[in-house]
Amino acid sequence: MPANSIDRIVIVGGGTAGWMTAAALSNIFRGSNMQIDLIESEEIGTVGVGEATIPEIMKFNGLLGIDENEFMRATQATFKLGIEFHDWHKPGQRYFHPFGVYGLDMEGISFHHFWLRARAAGDTSALEDYCLAWQAAKNGRFSKPSGPPNSPLSGIRYAYHFDALLYARFLRQYAEKLGVRRTEGKVVSVQQRSDDGFIESVQLENGDKKEAQLFIDCTGFFGLLIEKTLESGYEDWSHWLPCDSAIAAPCERTGNLTPYTRSTARKAGWQWRIPLQHRVGNGYVYASQYTSDEEARQTLVDNLEGPVLAEPRQLRFTTGKRREIWKKNCIAIGLSSGFLEPLESTSIHLIQSAISKLISLFPTGNFNPVDRQKFNQLIDQEFETVRDFLILHYKATERSDSEFWNYVRAMEIPEFLSQKLKLFEEAGRIFRDENEIFAEPSWLAVLTGQGVFPAQYHPIADVISPEETMQRLHAIKDVIGRASASLPMHEDFIAENCKAQSDPKNQSSIRTEPAADADPFKL
Amino acid sequence: MSNKRIRKIVIVGGGTAGWMAASAIAHVLKNNYADITLIESQAIGTVGVGEATIPQIVNFQTMLGLDENEFVARTNATFKLGIEFVNWSSQGSRYIHPFGSYGIEMEGIAFHHFWLKQRNLQRAKGARVTPLSDYCLQAVAAKRNLFMRPVQAPNSPLEKIAYAFQFDALLYAQYLREIAESKGVKRIEGRVVDTHLNSENGYIEKLTLDNGQEIDGDLFVDCSGFRGLLIEEALETGYEEWTHWLPCDRAVAVPCESVGDPEPYTRSTAHQAGWQWRIPLQHRIGNGHVFSSPYMSDEEATKILMQNIDGKPLADPRILKFVTGRRRKFWNKNCVAIGLAAGFMEPLESTSIHLAQSAIAKLLAFFPQEEIKPVDVDMFNAMTVTEYEQIRDFLILHYHQTQRTDSDFWNDVRTMEIPNNLTQRMELYRETGRIFRQNDELFTDTSWLAVMDGQELDTSAYHPVVDAMGEDELLARLNNIRDVVMNSADVMPTHRKFIDDNCKASQHAS
Repeated sequence: MPANSIDRIVIVGGGTAGWMTAAALSNIFRGSNMQIDLIESEEIGTVGVGEATIPEIMKFNGLLGIDENEFMRATQATFKLGIEFHDWHKPGQRYFHPFGVYGLDMEGISFHHFWLRARAAGDTSALEDYCLAWQAAKNGRFSKPSGPPNSPLSGIRYAYHFDALLYARFLRQYAEKLGVRRTEGKVVSVQQRSDDGFIESVQLENGDKKEAQLFIDCTGFFGLLIEKTLESGYEDWSHWLPCDSAIAAPCERTGNLTPYTRSTARKAGWQWRIPLQHRVGNGYVYASQYTSDEEARQTLVDNLEGPVLAEPRQLRFTTGKRREIWKKNCIAIGLSSGFLEPLESTSIHLIQSAISKLISLFPTGNFNPVDRQKFNQLIDQEFETVRDFLILHYKATERSDSEFWNYVRAMEIPEFLSQKLKLFEEAGRIFRDENEIFAEPSWLAVLTGQGVFPAQYHPIADVISPEETMQRLHAIKDVIGRASASLPMHEDFIAENCKAQSDPKNQSSIRTEPAADADPFKL
Repeated sequence: MSNKRIRKIVIVGGGTAGWMAASAIAHVLKNNYADITLIESQAIGTVGVGEATIPQIVNFQTMLGLDENEFVARTNATFKLGIEFVNWSSQGSRYIHPFGSYGIEMEGIAFHHFWLKQRNLQRAKGARVTPLSDYCLQAVAAKRNLFMRPVQAPNSPLEKIAYAFQFDALLYAQYLREIAESKGVKRIEGRVVDTHLNSENGYIEKLTLDNGQEIDGDLFVDCSGFRGLLIEEALETGYEEWTHWLPCDRAVAVPCESVGDPEPYTRSTAHQAGWQWRIPLQHRIGNGHVFSSPYMSDEEATKILMQNIDGKPLADPRILKFVTGRRRKFWNKNCVAIGLAAGFMEPLESTSIHLAQSAIAKLLAFFPQEEIKPVDVDMFNAMTVTEYEQIRDFLILHYHQTQRTDSDFWNDVRTMEIPNNLTQRMELYRETGRIFRQNDELFTDTSWLAVMDGQELDTSAYHPVVDAMGEDELLARLNNIRDVVMNSADVMPTHRKFIDDNCKASQHAS
């Protein structure tokens, strides 16, 4: 290796972020003399960030060469075709945000313009009637994509729900096999270079020092290196996303195994429901300014489908982003880099995305500032686009039944989002930058699901006669209906391919700690 | 359907841009959705700038449902695998900017990082550096005058041969005119002498022709060329000049006879105060010398051009004048400028036809349903500005990153201030070997790499992850990729034979 190359990395903090980083870096530097250390303490609980994921996770697992069935068995995982939102537009209303697309683009324009046109002419079919993911999901059906390209079943896109603690454990085995050294212990002090403040080493309780050229901060909200040591600063976004607390508890499942996450809007926030193989994860994300902790706890307990499996746990957070996610020779990954509520299951994606950016911009020992600037620029952009998509869920609502909803409905929103809203409201147009995570169908799902309907549709939808338009729509609906009905039940698909071995009942009864993995972001 | 919607579209100007717009709009807005009229005058010559294209044009042809062999035969076209740049970095230097990637990505890291390390190793040993172009099938095939379309061959570079065309722009416009007329476009012969604006909102209401005829419309497309008959002369939109970065402001053009088989690539040769294009067609070669008038006279530019053509000239050299830059708004009121009316950038990277195509695609994407919405217009303009600026920066790179010191022109462009964005990209490459393509940018990493490396922007850096691979393995893998590229080229026919077998022009006009 060149003299100035990095050959020692220390990751502080285990948890999902720490072990994902360790696994990915040990894989990419396989066969080199890179030494990777991970320091974690059993005493500090890990935050199992985001049990629900988005399809990008497959790229991460794929890059690591992980066998999907093995991974699913090890993490009690289930499949996910999207998120169902209840009561967000107004109480009693629901919609589905699918992975995958609606209908079929025709005449060079998006399908939804034809649907809007039919709607303008009095047709009452729902956008969801043209969505394979929802037609399968609502009936509890699931299968992986199959069939020739352009056939409806080839377009299935999916992600997972899993137990984040088990996922971290799974990746730990992977990383340790590739030579990552795990050290049990707490970091008590951090040594910095006197001339430029770069971190030289971290010292553990027992006096051991770990030196490295590059440090990864996976210590969660606390930000031991990036904030407590390097004082990167924090950009607070709670004026747009005022939820600052959550209370979480797992419960037993009643009913069939749904292949989707559910998010239900409540008086001062929303409640998640994440079905795993052995139980259901639940949590109420709320704004403490608008409801008390006790009231929130009661709301959660009153809204569990089965017997609670652990004592509800309380979490606090501030929505926002670290000002410099890469500062000097330290990179924050996971909650140490920022926090966005798991409304669209982006927590694990943000970890993964930071890791892939780190790999692509991996520094040399002299830490050229251009790498750091590029990294921060890309990751800032990513945080902001996710943030704006989340804000949309709160802004586009007709709820006026609480102070919380009155505030978010009326609040000022970022420029990027108001531009998007305006383009859609006026003519049904959705434009997406290449780097945005959420594509056109995602925006369409949430916009129409929350009652935003364009005044007009694309004029090219008028080049086909009304009769032909209706014929085509019926044909698409029909094909999707038949294709979805041909899929196996989600439960059967798992039983056949990737059922977890352990008896879930035993597992929950021998647990001595609270079910830490039940909440998507405990501290 | 609404009563206020666009029913009459009027296109002014019938060069390449005008007929591309007419045929595409008529194709998409089918079933008599709107009346489409194109006004052109035989008396006004069209500027056949940009006979060479980039691979995106294949999408345009596919969208129109054109038969490619027929199109090639009708326009005397040849195929194009890239551009050869001669004397740009220094006198005697040459490189190819190919349409296609170098090698393959390994371990998630772009190929060129592995090549950069190999180069360091070769340099350290004093060995010959294997050129980047050895790892790109298009570059290898171009040098050997080979061509074929991609074929089904899993994991072989033969599967991904991206190509474009070099054609006679006048014949292309004629060909598209037939298509447009068959789709219902009405052509009116005449010259626009007056434009009537609505007194309240300033929208164009109607045009008056030299014969007194009046043409009204809801949406006007200005394809009138540099002068911008509607967008500038009527609507006074304004123009942003970029001549401080791209000082060439004239071209002298002349076709000549071919003296051999046509090459499957365009050539650009740098001279003292500009550069010369060479575009081989089936029946002749198009040549032109783009130069900067403050640094060189028309006479001298013409003399240099005439000294540097292959065969007998087929016409008198013609001088064109232009100002590099862009219209302040491409869409203003109810008028959209497409082609040279929108802006001008020298055809160094064959982007003129692409910019017309891209504007048409955007116009269709933002096509108004009822009245024209400011939010659509703003978005259209913002997207177009980004596109122009990204191409501009890529062109500036060719001038700025040079070692030439043999004329005032080169001394000035070599030392000029350049846009910040470009400085950053050059620095990033120089210091880390990295290239990032910006959002939806036209030119890919391959293009940036080809030009930066070709113009000898040097770097000793490479991606650190490359070091995870042993040196022997790295050299073996690179050799293997090179062998695959060379073997793939061996199965390709010559460009001439491919044309003769598939799409030979029926008559060779001389």
